Amino acid sequence: MKLYDYVLSPSCYKARLMAALAGVKLDIRPVDFHPGAEHRGPELMALNPAGSIPILEDGDLVLTESSAMLVYLAAQAAPQWLGNDTAGEAARVQQWLSFSHRLTASLGAARLHEMLLRPGNIDVLLGQGTTALRELEAGLVEQHIRGQRFLALDRPTVADIACFPYVALAPDGGVSLDPYPAIRLWSRAIRGLDGFIEMPGIHRLHELRPEPVPEVGEA
Amino acid sequence: MPAQSPVGPIALWRSRSGRAAAFADRCPHRGMRLSHGFVRGETLSCIYHGWSYAQGGNCLRIPAHPGLAPPETIRVATQAVEDSGGIIWISVGEAAAPPPRLEGFAPLRSMMVEADIAALEAAAGAKADGGLLDHRHDDRTVRLLLASVGEARTLMHVLVGEDSNPTERIAASRAAETLRRAAEGIRRGRVAQ
Repeated sequence: MKLYDYVLSPSCYKARLMAALAGVKLDIRPVDFHPGAEHRGPELMALNPAGSIPILEDGDLVLTESSAMLVYLAAQAAPQWLGNDTAGEAARVQQWLSFSHRLTASLGAARLHEMLLRPGNIDVLLGQGTTALRELEAGLVEQHIRGQRFLALDRPTVADIACFPYVALAPDGGVSLDPYPAIRLWSRAIRGLDGFIEMPGIHRLHELRPEPVPEVGEA
Repeated sequence: MPAQSPVGPIALWRSRSGRAAAFADRCPHRGMRLSHGFVRGETLSCIYHGWSYAQGGNCLRIPAHPGLAPPETIRVATQAVEDSGGIIWISVGEAAAPPPRLEGFAPLRSMMVEADIAALEAAAGAKADGGLLDHRHDDRTVRLLLASVGEARTLMHVLVGEDSNPTERIAASRAAETLRRAAEGIRRGRVAQ
């Protein structure tokens, strides 16, 4: 399975993270997104006329939407991540998968505006981002009341992976996560999962080691 | 974790034994936010150079000078903390009175409102008393604990009857969302005038 990837792209990270959590080995093909704009070049446009990354290629199958990649990776190697045991669960997962596009369009666009000077009305983007974060926070609060730690169920699903990266990187676009305690707890729960991998700006939970003791004769 | 107080940003942390402390969110060494740091046992260590502080705010250890006992003058500003009923109260200086009693109520969630307390009072149709506002919804009461953050923001802690079942708690959370929307709408109306 080949992933056309850019290390700073949260959408590419979704695919890398899901693959790591599901134990799938990806063949990573780095794309010079910035400054080379290779995703707009003839080779990648032939593969994905939308001119976006990530692109996941597996034999004849070419996927260009990150949510579809998450579902494909989970269905291949870790079906429990699909969260589709009942009609209600499957629908909740789909609800958050669709919602994740609003995070990309608001927090993601604010981040591109701040980091790569992409055009956009930053005030509108921040307002939309805040609205989306408030919905996510309220959803997680209700899940906690039901005794569930993740967005759709009491275990992580593709819905969590779809929403997590743009939320975790919201501060890059100028949106603080300080007012969202339920989101911060959820972020910790994801970052503490077995098999979790990092991207620049999103670190794993620090492993607390004993305090280093100076060697004799030092200082 | 980072939090706000009337004297500025604070790092609120709980030691391994469970004691809460409130520090000015600024390491005296290089000004790094201490809320980025980490708790090790009964101390808080700065993420930048690892200077670690006891709950009283005094510096215990400077890793770059392991043999040095840090002088008493290296100290983080601290605030008094009272941890009761699931709420952590911080007083600036000596507390004038003990925190209000909230018997029968349990904390549900905390939310930031982009409006002042007057707008929240108008939206709820009730007056706040000492930072406490009782809001009726669906024949139940949510008790709101309000703290101004700057001029036009309010940190709103939502408390519900401690006997509430999950359905009632979810309803209370939604009622608080509705109240926030109404208060922010009132504020926008006022600004537009």
